[in-house]
Amino acid sequence: MTQRFLSHADLAALVAAHRRVIAPVRAKDDARQTDYLPIRALADAALGAALPRRSLKEFFLPPTEVLLSYRQTKEGVEIKEVPTQAQPQVILFASPCDAAALEVVDKVMDWEYRDELWFGRREATTIVGLLCSSMDSSCFCSAIGLGPDSPRGSDVLLTPVEGGYLAQVITPKGEALLAHCAAREASAAAVAQAETARQQARKKVENNAPAIPDGFAAWLEENFDHPVWRTMALRCHGCGACAGVCPTCHCFDIVDEHDSSDEFTLQASGHNPRQSQSERFRQRIQHKFSIYPKRFGEILCTGCGRCCRVCAGGMDLPEILGGLIALAKKGPQESGQ
Amino acid sequence: MNIYQPHLMRIVEITDETVDTRTLKLEFKAPAMAREFQFSAGQFGEYSAFGEGESTFCIASSPTRQGYIECSFKSTGKVTQALRRLGVGDTVGFRGPYGNHFPIEEMKGHSVVFIAGGIGLAPVRCAIWNVLDLRDQYKDVTIVYGARTVGDLVYKRELEEWSRRADLRLCLAVDPGGETPDWKGEVARIPTAVEKAVTTAEDTYAVICGPPIMIKFTLPVLAKLGFAAERIYTTLENRMKCGLGKCGRCNIGATYVCKDGPVFTAAEMGRMPQEF
Repeated sequence: MTQRFLSHADLAALVAAHRRVIAPVRAKDDARQTDYLPIRALADAALGAALPRRSLKEFFLPPTEVLLSYRQTKEGVEIKEVPTQAQPQVILFASPCDAAALEVVDKVMDWEYRDELWFGRREATTIVGLLCSSMDSSCFCSAIGLGPDSPRGSDVLLTPVEGGYLAQVITPKGEALLAHCAAREASAAAVAQAETARQQARKKVENNAPAIPDGFAAWLEENFDHPVWRTMALRCHGCGACAGVCPTCHCFDIVDEHDSSDEFTLQASGHNPRQSQSERFRQRIQHKFSIYPKRFGEILCTGCGRCCRVCAGGMDLPEILGGLIALAKKGPQESGQ
Repeated sequence: MNIYQPHLMRIVEITDETVDTRTLKLEFKAPAMAREFQFSAGQFGEYSAFGEGESTFCIASSPTRQGYIECSFKSTGKVTQALRRLGVGDTVGFRGPYGNHFPIEEMKGHSVVFIAGGIGLAPVRCAIWNVLDLRDQYKDVTIVYGARTVGDLVYKRELEEWSRRADLRLCLAVDPGGETPDWKGEVARIPTAVEKAVTTAEDTYAVICGPPIMIKFTLPVLAKLGFAAERIYTTLENRMKCGLGKCGRCNIGATYVCKDGPVFTAAEMGRMPQEF
């Protein structure tokens, strides 16, 4: 990994040189909030503001997308394929939790059957992460093993320093992005300044939730029928807002009709294996912290805290994890049935 | 072509099995697909009625019968009702084959008991014809099939054909109250019918599919007969959308029915969280 210095002018030129650049922008309806949106100039980007309301997911797995179109004719059906290649784009100032989420979801999207729509967009996108400074009490990236300075999923990671940014070049794609910028070595002062900023950022978030202990995934698997699922789920309204804003939730439907959550697993016979809200809540936690780790070796969460912020019922994931971890640590005699 | 894009198939034959259950015989429109398509008994596909969406069914025909596939479905929702409105010559979409399959190879040289209830005969029928088309490679073949009423029995012409065959034993049953005056089969639920028809588990595999309640009460009967849980195969039909491990709804704990299944042994099912 190489480190370079980028001035504000370098970055402004980089934005100007690319047709499609996405960055956090102040929300039109609420100046305290930001959204990831296309920008025309570096000055359009909102820095140091709140974590964007929605993650980067929608640029790779949009809320709706056309998988194919067709025409019914006398002779039958004519299918029109959709392109799986996407337009090149740069995502600037990505939050590390959002950048990491993309790499986590890559695993399932590449599981035997490669989702070309997902990877078409992934390959066309260069991600420039930014040391996070927008953390609040809902953030828990450190508990997941990431952090506000995690390079995971970024092609370049920026840390603000005097007069510009220290750029850590993480991938060849990142290298290519910066190829046209003036190659300036980062000064020792800039490197030191960046290191201090990273440490301070880490400190701000590391006490928000207990770290996920070893064996937590296995404990969850063994305690599928623990009564805690019912008590913890009481506050959940089943609205699905958490799944919408989550950068790693990737469950989807393949129809063009409204589908409500209680039909998600409804079988033709009328049987529904996840009938109650507590079973659906359990599925959410099990999938993120046990099932996905077991199948893909990754926690399906990057601690962005969005689910806590949007929840009308006050469901708080760090608090839920804290409760479960406490149960897990009590040992088998306390847990189960 | 992305992984969600279906192949086009033409309906070449329609058979009404019961008042609400229908079988479609389908051929690929693209000559290359028609030539090259391969699958194994127990695998499934996503079938689309254009304009309505996709539905998940097993392939009900045997891989030994090349050049076409069949699916059987009961009209219960939007897609199945739309499929029912289609006629011979119309186009449907198909993605597949997906999932694992029955141990057709492993069962060679052994006896097989097939047990099915209602429309659950569809995936079992695929395995039955696979075995019957290679009949000399298997020992005894027994089929126990039942439905709520005589009217609910599917594949009636084939039941007729199987009943005349000397190289298999067929036991048909309907629930008490579901019999007609001329009914010659058993009047019993499947677990009781199995108890009567199956005498030994020796050197025998069991393949079972039907409503969850039927499976639940038949498994203890098979255990009592001496079937090891590793030799009892069933197929789960959870609701699916993608069929290829992405959409996140068919899983039971860490087991994805679409990728790890749909065929499981009773031993594997016993180790899963009881969420099916």
